[in-house]
Amino acid sequence: MDDSAKRLLQRFMRRIPTQMLKTTLEKWSRLTVAQQKSLDFTQSKWALTEALLDICEENKWTTKHISELEMIYVIDNPNQGMWHAFQLMDPEDDAHSVELTQFKEQFKSHLSELIRHVSVKIKKHTDEAVWIRIAWGDSYSRPNHLKPTYVVHYLQTPYVFVTSLTSKQKPLLSQALVLSTRHHAIKDANLSGKKFTAIRDLLMRQYQQAFPTKYPSPLKEKNQTVSNPLIEREQAGPAANRLQMACEAFGDGMLPQLQSAVYKLETKFRDQTNKTMTEREESFRCVVKFASTNLLESLRDCASSGIASTPVTPLLSSIPLKGRNYFVITDNSPGPSSQMHQKTDG
Amino acid sequence: MEGASTRGVLSHLSLLEVQARSRKTQPQQRSRVKELKAEAEALMIQRDKLKAEIQTHERLQKLRMSMDKQCPREQEEEEEMDEDSEDSQLLRLMARHTHLKDLLHAHHLIGGYDIIKTHQGKGVCVSVATSYEGVCLDTYNLEIDLKPKLRISRHNVPPFIPLNSLAEQSNMQTNIRAFLDTLSRHLNAFAGRKQQLKLLKEQHKSVEVMESNVLCSILVLMLTVPREKTAVLCTLDYTDHTRCLPTRVHFDCEDKELPDSPEWKKNCHLLMETPVHTALLTMKKMGNIV
Repeated sequence: MDDSAKRLLQRFMRRIPTQMLKTTLEKWSRLTVAQQKSLDFTQSKWALTEALLDICEENKWTTKHISELEMIYVIDNPNQGMWHAFQLMDPEDDAHSVELTQFKEQFKSHLSELIRHVSVKIKKHTDEAVWIRIAWGDSYSRPNHLKPTYVVHYLQTPYVFVTSLTSKQKPLLSQALVLSTRHHAIKDANLSGKKFTAIRDLLMRQYQQAFPTKYPSPLKEKNQTVSNPLIEREQAGPAANRLQMACEAFGDGMLPQLQSAVYKLETKFRDQTNKTMTEREESFRCVVKFASTNLLESLRDCASSGIASTPVTPLLSSIPLKGRNYFVITDNSPGPSSQMHQKTDG
Repeated sequence: MEGASTRGVLSHLSLLEVQARSRKTQPQQRSRVKELKAEAEALMIQRDKLKAEIQTHERLQKLRMSMDKQCPREQEEEEEMDEDSEDSQLLRLMARHTHLKDLLHAHHLIGGYDIIKTHQGKGVCVSVATSYEGVCLDTYNLEIDLKPKLRISRHNVPPFIPLNSLAEQSNMQTNIRAFLDTLSRHLNAFAGRKQQLKLLKEQHKSVEVMESNVLCSILVLMLTVPREKTAVLCTLDYTDHTRCLPTRVHFDCEDKELPDSPEWKKNCHLLMETPVHTALLTMKKMGNIV
């Protein structure tokens, strides 16, 4: 067992919580029953690591096997690190018929054509997601398994989710993905967050959306304790209306957990009392960032409680509607490079 | 009679004749008047009937207007106004009947999709329901802006259904019905394939699903031949995404002759023509697979 395999296992053991170790090792299914039994999970992590190292040594397992173990753990616990979404563009006619074996072969061969030292592992999860683990090297060094990139793609969909990708690796990955999924281009989908599941659910529309249908699902009313029944009756109508609009804008029930939304403003400063700022030639730049442990839920609550006005401004409802949390706002007139035209007044 | 004697018998006779004739016509005239009177009366009754009908119609129209507006307060007022009239109940029922009939007609016109107005009539929300073998599955919704042109503003159709290209191909702007029909076919076929896969996994534990995708357009199964225990890799391609049945069935086996045997040729046909879970059931019964 070489040094890099050893370090990979040590790092893996540091990352994984002890209570998850047993199930992960079972899923790995490389240990014999006797080996599995010999491990005492009440021991300290250090002792467990030593015991596992011995077993690996015995079986002459290499980084290939250890990275498998790491992959199983990451697939089961994907809400770590920072995930970024990308969107594949202009599918070719045969894009919808790409199947797993073909994709695997193509992706590996395209990537290894672009870079000499790279180690790729592809595994399909039970929910049809294709998980790709890439350990990058360069022309002189062997693949670094301690800093792998994880890529998740559902075949036949336009979305790709990526974590731990450097700007140097991005064009390589992009090209391999575009070619192997039979598309023409790939672009940043302007959506990122710490929870992989949230980003996936938002783009794959796997969260509960509310629609104004004829037989509306009864939106759950909050238990408000209002002492005066007259006030209650007077306010029930507008309150229900606000709740409906808030749910239509952001969704119903559990919402994907986004942590932030960023609006980059590149607009003219407009204020008659402040001539120096208003008359400046160049645009007024500022960044507005909303942050929360669950941003969409916070926004929905603001709208339904009346803190934010309803109907919800397109600036906020665009987050779930367009599935992105990074916007550049420019003035409507010039600036063709804008990503989201928005008239700003005052 | 004296006068008559003076003027002569003949003139008297002629006088009598005239008198007799006139006596005959008088009852005739009388019956004519009666007839005309009856006719007038009938016409009057008809007029009253028509008047009443017009009145009823007008009131129905009024009721309908308020119903179409769906303004509950107005309806309440109407109720109070008509409380004394005994047919008001009937009228309201009739109005409701025509209202429902019109709605049903509109529902047929738009192809049976549930559509409601949103944003004070500036948009609509269309629901497309899916089902398979009589089981209701997911319902998908589209919010469509009407002006300046039709635009899908929000929806919950999964990203592997090419919504935008379907809208373009079927000319949504001019023919929304065709677009909705195509979309409904795609969604129903997807729901059907997904349901088949679910049933397959539930009913056939001995069959291993080697491959599938989110669109359920590719399915690779591992089948086992009973006695020899040879494994057969069965690939089902659903290239036509508007159908629940595969467009291609292919077997891979170590025994190269097996796929060409008449039995397996029959299996191939079976898989092409029946849903995969029922086809496998038949194959099991025939003893072709475990």
